[in-house]
Amino acid sequence: MSELALLLNQSVNALSQAALLFFLGVGLTLIFGIMRIINFAHGTLYMLGAFVGYSIVHATGSFWVALVLAPVVVGVLGLLFELFILRRLYQREAHAFLMVTFGLALVTGEAIRLIWGSDALQVPAPPALSGVIFLLDEPFPVYRLFLASSGIVVAIAIWQILERTRLGLLIRATSQNAEMVHALGVDVNLVRSGVFGIGCGLAALGGVLAAPLVTASHGMAATAVIDAFVIVIIGGMGSFLGSLIGAVLVAFVQVFGNYYYPDLALAFMYLVMLTVLIVRPGGLLGKEA
Amino acid sequence: MTTKPRISRRSMLAGSTAAVASPFIWTSAQAQAANTIKIGLPLALTGPLGSVGQQQKRGAELYAKLQNEKGGLIGRKIELLIEDTVGNPATCVRKAQEMVERHDCRLFTGITLSSEALAIVPKLAEWNSIFISSDNGDGRLTAASFVPNFFRANTSGPMGTRAVSLYLKQSPMKKFFAIGLDYAWGHNSVQVFEDEVKKMGREFIGKVFAPTGTKDYSTYITKIRQSGADAVYTVLAGDDNNAFLAQAAQYKLASRMAMLAEQLELSAMRAVGDACLGMIVSSRYAFTIDNPKNKEFVELWKKAHDGLVPDQFEGEQWQCMRVFEAGIIKAGGIEADKLRPALEDLTIDDIKGKVHMRKCDHQGVQQGFIVKAVKKEGFSHPVPEVIATLPADQVTPPCNKMTYDD
Repeated sequence: MSELALLLNQSVNALSQAALLFFLGVGLTLIFGIMRIINFAHGTLYMLGAFVGYSIVHATGSFWVALVLAPVVVGVLGLLFELFILRRLYQREAHAFLMVTFGLALVTGEAIRLIWGSDALQVPAPPALSGVIFLLDEPFPVYRLFLASSGIVVAIAIWQILERTRLGLLIRATSQNAEMVHALGVDVNLVRSGVFGIGCGLAALGGVLAAPLVTASHGMAATAVIDAFVIVIIGGMGSFLGSLIGAVLVAFVQVFGNYYYPDLALAFMYLVMLTVLIVRPGGLLGKEA
Repeated sequence: MTTKPRISRRSMLAGSTAAVASPFIWTSAQAQAANTIKIGLPLALTGPLGSVGQQQKRGAELYAKLQNEKGGLIGRKIELLIEDTVGNPATCVRKAQEMVERHDCRLFTGITLSSEALAIVPKLAEWNSIFISSDNGDGRLTAASFVPNFFRANTSGPMGTRAVSLYLKQSPMKKFFAIGLDYAWGHNSVQVFEDEVKKMGREFIGKVFAPTGTKDYSTYITKIRQSGADAVYTVLAGDDNNAFLAQAAQYKLASRMAMLAEQLELSAMRAVGDACLGMIVSSRYAFTIDNPKNKEFVELWKKAHDGLVPDQFEGEQWQCMRVFEAGIIKAGGIEADKLRPALEDLTIDDIKGKVHMRKCDHQGVQQGFIVKAVKKEGFSHPVPEVIATLPADQVTPPCNKMTYDD
């Protein structure tokens, strides 16, 4: 394989991994931006997305239906969780959220085990995406190309929603000054519920998309919430663009680092985080701490 | 009339264990009878190797249920103490210690990870307990780390690798690459494979190790492709194995080279589907092993599990329980001083053929099996088909060793 082919291959691959990290990180950062809480259940909801996706693929025979429906199902569950549980806690201190979302992670994890069992489940990529294309004579899975493009599409969509729509305006305003928005006659609670639901739905979207790569399995949640958290820290808590940059940065460093120095595979993500924290303690695009 | 509540309580326990992976010892069972034979199973029921622990649990449970229906062993009922260790050696030692101290448990099996087993064996003398391994692969357990109260009824990692290399001697493949999980078992098995390949006079091109829990295997797959090997040997398990196989199939790795594996469970074949078709695997147990004892076992298993066939570690655990059975009957008790000599040089003939628990290092001398993942009628996923059975004396390493002389 030529150096150029390798570079191209691994770059597109890094973009596909960035997409998965982005779906995780952006939900977490949106939720943090508007609610000032870290959702510890984020990794478990990502895993739930994969398992719900599995059931939908089995019921309908279509990966595409699962891709649309699973995030909606998990998003609605997230919304209900915010409505009935988190909403009661806004007057409390931050650790109350930590405990409750951590509890949600445990309950959801065990519920998945009860419903779907302990074994990993197969979610095959749709036939249209199962082949390979040749990048400079080297085969590359079409599915990874699809992952990379879906990441770009979703990133642009979220960016447009945040910048161009009234909902985006409300989200940005609420994250800057919730009381003022409330005083202007906007139902801030509704915005919060919506954003929490959307964040959970995005995690689930990541889960469905990851399932053909890693199968729907109980190991998915273990590291996912840490990955998401690292990305949010790197990008700056609450920053949409920051989570995008963080995801791309981590993915590239991981893919190329892994290739050239496999012995350090586990360390790369944290090295990036450490460097960023030393140079900019508030994250790349965050407010200075 | 006292027997009635006993039975219902036991069946309730059996039912609830299937649904609950909970961190309790079955204390209610403790109250039953002081005279039961307690067997402790600290298992990795959750965590990356949870599927292996679950298999061991099912294997032991079916054995205990059927044996208790026949009246138990030496007139005593069998009672399983099951705990979740999450695959953590420190947790495993703590839970085993509790079983010894609170429940006077003197028999152990099922300890899922080799790292857990290596943490347990130094304690066995102090606990006056016998531990018969049903799945631990690490060669050191019957070599450098061997202790007299440890026995291994299963095929070890080096034995699995050896079976593959014996099989490869007859194949035209010349150049090999290996990928393993970055912990004791992965390194140990890749090393044995490398040595075997070199001894055969073939070329070992390179190896790479991935940390447990790796999600993206693309860089490893790229390296394997670039190596230009005729075959890649994988020493992977659980979620890692599934992720590797699913992604390798997306990269069409199998069109470039043959894929060999130290292990591929039925649960992995279900999880990755056609991505594993054609793989050649060293199997510790396959439901398709052709002998009457195994056929009988598979039928018993299907009856108890809604038609599902037994997986690799379900079979291995069953064989291990049969070794316990033969040893306890021969010893007439479960005390370590009686059971140890009874197990030494014991031979049973069961689902994998003859197993001889040799005295020198307590390794079960047994046949090796090479299977191929194939499509079979009646199954929606690939299943293992036995393509070679290798003689026990060639598969088992010399006493107290994990490498082979020839």
